[in-house]
Parts: sequence; structure tokens; C-alpha cells
Amino acid sequence: MRPMLLGEMTPETLMEELGTSPSKALAARRLAQLGMPTRKSEAYRYFDIEPLMAHDWEILRNEASAEIAESEEQIVITDGRVTALPKGVEVQVGCSDAIDLDGNHFDPLYYLGHLLSPEVISIRFKEDAKVTLVHRFTQPGKLLAYRTAIYLDANTHVQIDERFEGEQACGALILSGSDVFISRDATLTLIKDETLKEGDYVPILSHRIKVDSQALCRLHSFDFGAGSGLQLIRVQLHEHARIDADHLLYATDHARRGTVSQIVHIGQSSVSNQRAKNILAEKARGIFDALIKVEHTGKYTKAHQNSKAILLNDGAYMASKPQLEIYIDDLEASHGSTTGQLDEAQLFYLRSRGIAKEEARKMLILAFANELIDALEDERMRERLHASFETAYWGVTNVTCMETCHGCEDLAAGTAAK
Amino acid sequence: MSNVVMEIENLHARIGAKEILKGLNLQLEEGKVHAIMGPNGAGKSTLSKAITGHYDVEVTEGAIRYKGQEIVDWEPEDRALEGIFLSFQNPVEIPGVNNAYFLRTAVNAKRKHQGLEELNAAEFLREMKALVQELGMKPEMINRSLNEGFSGGEKKRNEILQMMMLQPDLIILDEIDSGLDIDALRAVSEGINKMKDGKRSFLVITHYSRILDYIEPDYIHVLKDGKIIKTAGPELVAELEEKGYGAIEEA
Ligand SMILES: Nc1ncnc2c1ncn2[C@@H]1O[C@H](COP(=O)(O)OP(=O)(O)OP(=O)(O)O)[C@@H](O)[C@H]1O
Ligand SMILES: [Mg+2]
Repeated sequence: MRPMLLGEMTPETLMEELGTSPSKALAARRLAQLGMPTRKSEAYRYFDIEPLMAHDWEILRNEASAEIAESEEQIVITDGRVTALPKGVEVQVGCSDAIDLDGNHFDPLYYLGHLLSPEVISIRFKEDAKVTLVHRFTQPGKLLAYRTAIYLDANTHVQIDERFEGEQACGALILSGSDVFISRDATLTLIKDETLKEGDYVPILSHRIKVDSQALCRLHSFDFGAGSGLQLIRVQLHEHARIDADHLLYATDHARRGTVSQIVHIGQSSVSNQRAKNILAEKARGIFDALIKVEHTGKYTKAHQNSKAILLNDGAYMASKPQLEIYIDDLEASHGSTTGQLDEAQLFYLRSRGIAKEEARKMLILAFANELIDALEDERMRERLHASFETAYWGVTNVTCMETCHGCEDLAAGTAAK
Repeated sequence: MSNVVMEIENLHARIGAKEILKGLNLQLEEGKVHAIMGPNGAGKSTLSKAITGHYDVEVTEGAIRYKGQEIVDWEPEDRALEGIFLSFQNPVEIPGVNNAYFLRTAVNAKRKHQGLEELNAAEFLREMKALVQELGMKPEMINRSLNEGFSGGEKKRNEILQMMMLQPDLIILDEIDSGLDIDALRAVSEGINKMKDGKRSFLVITHYSRILDYIEPDYIHVLKDGKIIKTAGPELVAELEEKGYGAIEEA
């Protein structure tokens, strides 16, 4: 395929290029309505999308690998192709016609991603599972587009630990993301951990998450480092459905990084709880541009949204826009946003006990981040994310048991009893 | 006269544009308990902040010499590492910082500074646990966030716990007795008395004679309008209680 200037593409030329199918036609129509992203696009108003759109991309095309390794608990997708699978997880690779596209996504690149993806990697969970989903990128400087779809059958409880490996893919643009379908009474815990260095690939991850009646989605995103990237998430909540979404961002250098989201309460008595914590250093810009929308049908909804940011340097900046759009009266809703510096009184207290300034700052930053790390139920995940955060912030990790576990009380009690 | 551990000379200090300390002179002796009394707003807490290097307070004139060295330009952590400890009038809450982790970091920073080996988690917890019990604190305090949601009295006990773990040389107690119930006052006073070793010095800021009954000061200083206006023995307490600060004239 010839190189593509995304900014100059039209849905028509894309259709010509890519052939037609019903879901591609829908994607093309929606893309035409939304238009290719520019500086003026709602979804990208705080993210510097234009250089990416103006770049002459070579699209990465991989042949399906014949070899799919069997793994313990990892699903590995390398450059958009499944390369390893655990036993018992059903994965189908098929064209995007097989999936039910979101006809109302706000993100044009959700549709462009679908248009450019040769097929969709569908992962279906029929029973409870804990898996690791590794996205591996190996090709520098190219555009990689692929989509995944995740299905949870009714009543299943699944934890997905999503990781990214892309040291070799510097300068690449990744247009990806998942269409997630959580059936009745099912629970999905999705933990995303992505640390980017400056010059790494740029991920634009565009998701849609459909939470059926009485189903629960727990979303924990951990975005760290000096590289740029954006996650765009549209959530649909049906009757008695619930989402708890936590976003911890630590961005430094010239990173532009964050979350653009839309949570739509469709069914009554649905619940959303979204918390963002943002730590911004050097000249980084954090983005939390989040809308909660309660439809006429969303009676007795509870919707809470909060964003807190700490700016560690004068050049750091937080674009925080929590918004509520409500079409009914019968609901409980709140939203708020604060941006500030490290608390001087707290810093002084620690230093007055002999703790060096840098160490004291680190303790306070960790304390700020801890709330969202400690919200992870899985203790091993908590430890891993503590270590990830420390490594991103400090360069090394020396997480000790006292920072992460709460078993020390037992230890203290045990040793004192002797 | 014993050795002087701290000598404050003609100290002028301000908070913002307002001069609070206006030429304060004070000598603290090794191994002695000095009490400071004085009306609200006189500058007592400001003095404790000036000694510990608080960011609010700007020293504009005068000197603070500690163990013979001028410390006005020292960082707060260096003052602490050299043995100065302040029990705050209002200790801040720090959500998300585990109490034990915080205190171990502080203790080990000090041990490192003294060239001692750091305490491991188990050794440290054993000591902390014993002191927590001694001070009548709930064991759960060990793993709570630092001061978060602690009652007034619990915060004060936590300050004393830190003092006992850190073993400082000059201890400033800013209204350690306010908000304490009778049992807490006794536990805290006993903790302080245990720290007396003939070398260690105390500066006790208080409004009440009660704590002074327990910890028996050697000197009483009256701080009024940014200056020490009178220094005397413990007998001054009764006189102050009777007549108030208005009757004390600048010497
Ligand atoms: N951060 C500040 N900004 C402005 N003024 C301040 C600040 N801190 C203290 N002051 C003022 O400085 C003066 C001295 O305050 P300080 O706290 O030292 O008094 P104090 O003697 O400790 O009183 P108390 O017995 O009530 O504790 C007061 O007039 C107070 O209002
Ligand atoms: Mg005071």
C-alpha cells in the first residue's frame, strides 16, 4: 500500500482504497460526519494531533503468522497479530463485520482505526479468567492499525492485565483500542499499565465499552512517562450497570498524555464513578476531558467524577474538563476538579523530621498516587504498579513491604508478642 | 551555669510583611527544661518556627546559634538531623503516607547521618510497637496514614512517639498539653520525663501550669509582643496564674 497522508484522506478515498463491507461503510460514514481530526476537533482539542495527521505514514501490514505459541496466561499481540495464547481462551480473528460497531462514538480515529484494520481480534471469555494481554510493537516509524474486541459472557468475572512493549517501535503511530462487551452480571477488571519514554511510539487508543444490565466494569489506567499518547473511551451503561474508572497519570518532559472520555448512562439506576489523578512534571501537559451524559432513560443514576492534579514545575499544565450533561432530574451527580502544587506544610513536616527535601517530595507524590494504586484489589498488581510508578518517577524502584502491603500489622503484632 | 545549647540573640523575624519577633533574646541550657508562657499571638509558635526553619518565617536580624553554630541558613532537615525536634501545635495530616513508613524513613535518615546502620523493618516495628503501647496509642495507628483522621490527642501522642523514636537533643514542645485528656497528659508527660537525661534540653510552650507540675521546668520565660520580657524560676508560674500577663513589666 502506498504511504498515506491521513489529513488528506476522505472517507471516499479510503473506501476505494480499502474495499467496502457493511461495517466499513458505517465507519466511513461516521468518519465523514466527524471529519478527520484537526486542532479544532473536540476529541483532540488538547492533544497535538496535527503533526501526526500531516505525517506521510507507511502502513504496517503483517501476514498472519502461522505460529501461535501456547502460553501460561498471556495473550500476546505482536504488531497487530496474535502470537501467543493461553489454553482455554477463545480467540477469533475475523473481519470487522463480525462486530457491532458503536454508531455514536465521538472519536473519528475510532472509525479510522476500524477502517484501516484488516480485521478484528476477538477475544471471548466464557468463564472466569485472569489473563495478561501484551501489546508488542517492533516496527519503528510506521503506522500500525489494529482493533481488538473483548466479549464477556453473562456472569463471568475476568481480570485483564494489559501491558505494552514497544522499545523498538520509536516514532510509530498506533491506532488501536478495544470494543468491549460485558454481558449481564459479568465483571471486567481491566488494568492498563503503559509507560512511554520520549520518542517512543504514540498510542491513540480508542475504546468503546458496553456494560450490560447489572454488569460491572472496573477500569484502572496507569499512564506514565515522557512520551505522548491519548486514550479515548466511550462507555454505555445499561440498567443497573456500573463503571468505576480510575486514571493515574504521571507525565514529564514534553509529554501530552491523558484521557478523553464519554460515559453515557442509558439504563436506569446505573452508576459511574470516575477519578483522575494527574502528576505533571517539567513541561508536560495532562489531559482529562471527560463528559458524563445521562439520557432521558437514565433515571436514578449516580454519576460522580473528580480530577486532581499536582503540577511539579512551572511549565507543567493540566487541561481538566469534567462535564455533566443531564436530561433528567432524578439522579445523584457530582463533579469537581482541582489543580495545585505539593502541599508546603506537609513538605515541611516531613523535612522537620530529618527527611531530605527530594525524598519528602517523593513521599508526597507517592502518597497522592497511592490512592489509585491501592484501589487495585489484586495485591500482586498493587505491588507491580507501585514499582512501575516508582521506576517511572524515580528511575529505580525500592518499594518495600511497608509501602505496599498491609500485613505489617501482623508482623508487628507477631514480633511484639514474642 | 551549665553549657548553653542554644543562644538566640536579638532575633527579628517576620511573617509576610508583619514583624512578629522583635529583638528576642533567649539562652537554652543543656539538660534543662525551659518553659515559655505568654499571651495568644505573642509569637511563641513563630519562635519555634524560626528555630526549625519554617518557610513562613523570615529572619531579618539577629542570630540563632545551636551547639555553637549559626543555623539561620540551614535547611530544616539539617537542623533535624543535628538534633532539633519540634512537636507542632497543629500537626498536619498527610493522607497516603503510612505512619510506620514515614517514621522509619525519618529514623533511618538520622541513623545514616550519625553513621549508624539502618534499622530493618522488623527491628523498627518492634521498637515502634513497644512505644505505641507505652503511650497508650491504638496499635492500628502504626499503619494508618500519618495523622489522617487522628483526634487532637492522638496527634499529640503521635508527636511524642516521633520524639521518642528520633531521640533528639533539643526538643521544642508547642502546646503539647492542649487538647489532651488527663490520662493522655500523664502518658505524654511520662514520655517527656523519660527523655530527660541531663544532656537533652527542652523548650516547653504552654498556657497551663498543669503540665509543668509533671515535667518540672528549671526556668520560666515570658514571651510578650515578640520579646522575652521576663525570666525566672518555677515560682513565676503561680504569680502568672494569679495576676495574668498584664502585670509583668519588661525588665
Ligand atoms: N501565616 C501567617 N500569616 C500571617 N500572620 C501570621 C501567620 N502566622 C502567624 N501569624 C501572626 O503572627 C502572630 C504570632 O503568632 P504565633 O502563632 O507565633 O502566636 P502564639 O504566641 O503561638 O499564639 P498562641 O498562644 O495563640 O498559639 C499572630 O498575630 C499571628 O496572627
Ligand atoms: Mg502558638
